[in-house]
Amino acid sequence: MTRLLASALLWLWVLPAAAHHVLGRPSYNLNEDSNTPPSMQLETQIGDYFVNYMVYPAFPRPGESGRINLYVYRRDGGAPYRGRVAFEVRDDSWFSTREERIGEQTADDNVFRQGFVFSQAGDYIITAKFEDRGQPYRIDFPLRVGAPSPVRPLSLAAGVLLSVLAAVSLVQRRRLMRARLRAAREERAA
Amino acid sequence: MTMNTRIPAPRWRHLNLLRWVTLTTVFATLLLLPALHLYQTYVAAHAYDLLSPGEQRFYTFMETLTSPFTSDPARDLDALKGTTWSANIFGLKLSDPLAALSQVAAGQTLYLPFLLSALIPLVLTLILGRFFCGWICPATLLYELNSNFGLWLRRFGIHSGNRRFDRRLKYAVLAAGLLLSAAAGAVLTAGIYPPAILGREAYYAIAQGGLGAGSVFFAATLLFDLLVARRGFCRYLCPGGALYALLGRFRLVRVRRVVENCNDCAKCNAVCEFGLDPLHDRFGQDCTNCTACIAVCPTDAMTFTLRLADVPPQGPGHLGHRYRKARPGGAASRSQEAA
Repeated sequence: MTRLLASALLWLWVLPAAAHHVLGRPSYNLNEDSNTPPSMQLETQIGDYFVNYMVYPAFPRPGESGRINLYVYRRDGGAPYRGRVAFEVRDDSWFSTREERIGEQTADDNVFRQGFVFSQAGDYIITAKFEDRGQPYRIDFPLRVGAPSPVRPLSLAAGVLLSVLAAVSLVQRRRLMRARLRAAREERAA
Repeated sequence: MTMNTRIPAPRWRHLNLLRWVTLTTVFATLLLLPALHLYQTYVAAHAYDLLSPGEQRFYTFMETLTSPFTSDPARDLDALKGTTWSANIFGLKLSDPLAALSQVAAGQTLYLPFLLSALIPLVLTLILGRFFCGWICPATLLYELNSNFGLWLRRFGIHSGNRRFDRRLKYAVLAAGLLLSAAAGAVLTAGIYPPAILGREAYYAIAQGGLGAGSVFFAATLLFDLLVARRGFCRYLCPGGALYALLGRFRLVRVRRVVENCNDCAKCNAVCEFGLDPLHDRFGQDCTNCTACIAVCPTDAMTFTLRLADVPPQGPGHLGHRYRKARPGGAASRSQEAA
């Protein structure tokens, strides 16, 4: 009995530490470093690959470190991608051309992990690039850092425009009617 | 048959206010529906804990808004879906006749359930004419506000465009839209039809946090109205307006001038957004029954009538100078009688 127990312990001890796998994919619903679920878990398809994208913590904030986890595996057979994945980031706000390379990662337990620290809140686009058999792959994913204003410039412009139009029509009601009659008179005279 | 010819407009005068309320309600509903849909999606996904703080505030607000009406939003909010292009309102499926026609053109098949959803709007158009444009179209609210804005700019010496084009142009746009839809196998008319565009853009803005190319097209139509022709898109280019005008050519309910009450002040012509000529009884198939002319008439000379055609031109209003001068023994003799 003791020998059996010792064998079992030895067998467990020599097993490599690995992430939980659910249906063949690593499961990170509650991540090892973060007690919140990922802010988004996207699965997409590009060429011969499926790509899983996750961000930790759920709501990354400026000045705090976070991490992107990318899991890339083949559509046929599900073999994980073994090469390198480069990560870039660009600011997704209007009139911004800021773009930066964050790093290049190799797979660790079949997952490409890229850490980040953003100094400013905002909406960003993370681009993951890799190559397979001479074929380049490039995928964009959204990333929100902090709580940027829910009112975007375009929505703000539309809101302001609507408010101005409504205010003019309401406040200047009588004056507008006079202007309308005057315009019609002028048109008739012309 | 004339409705209230003897005691005309006072009853109808308030309809213009009701029309503004209706337009505002439809527009607000167009914004509310995507918000309800988004909230419903969050509820169905049990996603509250996964939402950002801003989205959680939105969730709470929508929960407060809908809780008096439903305890199961994930299921019950299916009762309200869509836009003015095609909608499901408490089980009643309604579609714009242009949507049905474009679908027939694009698919080159008659899909009866969809066609039936356009039946009620079709019948209403046959009775009321182009009323959708005046009373329901969410773009009308913005176009009328834009038109007022153009008038306001005159104060600063900026004159908005008032060019006139051939009104038949919109029929060509409609025909081209349908032909291209048939050729492409896609409903292309929806890409240039303002109410359909606004419905889509509202979804993009609220549910997806952005705007599509349609918003650029719609902004261009506003600028066209402002700089080139007052209400130019609706008058000359709108494919939906063209269809409604065709269907409403022999509408039953139409505005009529009561010549006995008319003083030829021409305010009706001045307020007509579609540039029609109510003063000379020329309403035509473009009249939207918007009632602006009824509301502005100082002598209650505009009213509704039940006829399949406009009243033939009745000449000058009986309270106007021209009529009194033209009468044998005219104004002078009447003033002598009065004395």
